[in-house]
Amino acid sequence: MSTTPSPVPSTREAVIIGGNRIPFSRAGKKYVRTSNQDMFTAALEGLVARFGLQGERLGEVAGGAVLKHSKNFNLIRESVLGSSLAPTTPAYDVQQACATGLEAAIAVTNKIKLGQIESAVAGGTDTVSDAPIVVSDRLRAALLDANHAKTTSAKIKALLQIRPKDLAPVSPSTGEPRTHLSMGEHQAITTAAWGITREAQDEIALASHQNLARAWEAGFFDDLVTPFKGLTRDDNLRADTSLEKLAKLRPVFGASLDAPATMTAGNSTPLTDGASTVLFSSREWAEERELPILAKFVDAETAAVDFVHGHEGLLMAPAAAVPRLLARNGLTLEDIDFFEIHEAFASTVLTTLAAWEDEEYCRTELGLDGAFGKVDRSRLNVNGSSLAAGHPFAATGGRIIATAAKLVSAKAKETGQPARALISVCAAGGLGAVALVESTDNAA
Amino acid sequence: MVPASYGVTELDRLPRLGGLFAKGAAGSVTKRPKGAVRLPEVSYRVAGVDTSGEAAHLAAYQDLLGEPASDVLPAGFLHVLAFPLATAVMVRPDFPLPLLGMVHLRNVARVLRPVRLGEALEVRAWAQDVRGHRRGVQVDLVAEVLVGGELAYQGVSTYLAKGFTAPGAAAPGEPADDGTRPEWTAPLPTARWTLGGGTGRAYGAVSGDLNPIHTSALGAKAFGFPRAIAHGMYTAARALAEVGPALRGDRYEWTVEFFRPVLLPSTVDVAIRPAGDGLVYDGWRSGKGTRHLTGTVTPL
Repeated sequence: MSTTPSPVPSTREAVIIGGNRIPFSRAGKKYVRTSNQDMFTAALEGLVARFGLQGERLGEVAGGAVLKHSKNFNLIRESVLGSSLAPTTPAYDVQQACATGLEAAIAVTNKIKLGQIESAVAGGTDTVSDAPIVVSDRLRAALLDANHAKTTSAKIKALLQIRPKDLAPVSPSTGEPRTHLSMGEHQAITTAAWGITREAQDEIALASHQNLARAWEAGFFDDLVTPFKGLTRDDNLRADTSLEKLAKLRPVFGASLDAPATMTAGNSTPLTDGASTVLFSSREWAEERELPILAKFVDAETAAVDFVHGHEGLLMAPAAAVPRLLARNGLTLEDIDFFEIHEAFASTVLTTLAAWEDEEYCRTELGLDGAFGKVDRSRLNVNGSSLAAGHPFAATGGRIIATAAKLVSAKAKETGQPARALISVCAAGGLGAVALVESTDNAA
Repeated sequence: MVPASYGVTELDRLPRLGGLFAKGAAGSVTKRPKGAVRLPEVSYRVAGVDTSGEAAHLAAYQDLLGEPASDVLPAGFLHVLAFPLATAVMVRPDFPLPLLGMVHLRNVARVLRPVRLGEALEVRAWAQDVRGHRRGVQVDLVAEVLVGGELAYQGVSTYLAKGFTAPGAAAPGEPADDGTRPEWTAPLPTARWTLGGGTGRAYGAVSGDLNPIHTSALGAKAFGFPRAIAHGMYTAARALAEVGPALRGDRYEWTVEFFRPVLLPSTVDVAIRPAGDGLVYDGWRSGKGTRHLTGTVTPL
């Protein structure tokens, strides 16, 4: 069912000027009772300050949150109104589970490329500490019936349907609505299917912490992060972790499978609070304002897999999206200088890499002639990823785009050659979004 | 099709299950093994079953089983619709097997054309093909639904009555009958069902099947189960819903074979996988090898 990709139509460029986020914090710590709107506004306000956008009417601000209260129907617009941007800056909410931030970036850069807007911010925010809690379906039905009832006796009758157990609040879960398996259980199944070892997962986790710690030490995040609520660094980062420490952790997912359980709190992302933003524009808009141009947001691709019917693992959609994206752009894995593969779990990275190296899988599932190829591990998540930084669902895309843009910019400056980064984000619902970021001539 | 030798008994409307169960429970006491089993050669028929008033019932069914909201009646709903007529056959005094205590072994249903809410249906049911089983006899209860004289649905439910004797020798070559089954190892699951203690009552409410083994621990104990057990057809219908309309199409076959019953509450791991022209599903107790059911959904 694979079709020959259409050539990329020629449009103008969408460039990445920079990013700003607040430090990510483990759920229940620094950002307790801090709302999604508070966090996104803080990240946005930091971006405004960084690039002198006070009073500026931007083309658009797009973003979202995965765990979102119904009162936040205009979350991003409300954040804009609470920021120093001109109140005439339009905004809208996006939601694509963990791919929310990246999908928002795809949307606004497409508008820039088409000339519909000149500038935009994309991002996302999520809080587990301030997650919405809802009432049970039975209580909700009874309250709605009572609300719709016309007579007092009918209202009372409706309310009498309520049973004590209906009053228990319902917290959001990471369970898939169709399978009732948590994301961790789903990934444990994929991990077992690909035979990924505990050791390999712990190595990915260790590298993530070591790389992120080194990047913080080197000042890489100095112009990407604004302190918030007294936090200056991602507080999930464990610079002193080791394979020995990681090996001591008990598996938390996959206990009911025949295969040994390998996924622990160390090689799975923790629940995290945080927000991130990225500033995009046309080249002209950036140049007029003498703003730096880090990179181009070249192209993107989304994919989905049928995990409901056992055809594929829940988080494997990027494995399908990346070959399509690279083929359309005439690239192979060797052409990529930086692989930014979101670490939902260490094993998500490993099953994706394993899939691309598997000839049979690439032929039957991806419609390729043979194995897609091998990712050079020295180019993988070089400044750490979600295992170390944490993963506030909708904020992860913005974190990665800003990191990728800085990496390619620095690399191109250093070598005088164009540099490319590939971004890959898996998401609930069997979804995946991937994007290509490339250095610009200014940088090279 | 109704066997040619069978007489047809016309009923005005579909009977109510509650009354049938009371009758069946009373009758079950007197239905004891004596000699070879002989089935009544009669088919029940109700013409002009009006489904226009079934919208709320259908919505409750769809909500419980996870079927998407649609005016097309899922095969599991047609089974529920026709079940009282099949039960009416089983509670006849001349039906030799006791309604209570019969074990549902397997079910094969075919949807040959979509049946829509509001269509007038003809429903038929009869019992046929009594044959041996290593623990007694098995019998097929057949239910058919016709729309405008055209066969739209056929369901064959095979039940076991323990301790009874079939006419002639046991049927050879039935894998469920010889006591040995091929070794089975659980595949990787694709879903997990957390079935609460009220699962039997919830499906009882939409199916009308309030057999006490499904609705209360006491009722289940009376039949030798430590706790209430889930309706087999609930688990099969849920698997059918999870395959979904897109993959099963308008015309499909839906089969299920039941193994150990699901004791409530329970966590059941489920695997739904492509196989041949359709999908195969398996359900087993999470973390254990206890196999509950397997079946297929195949577009026709």
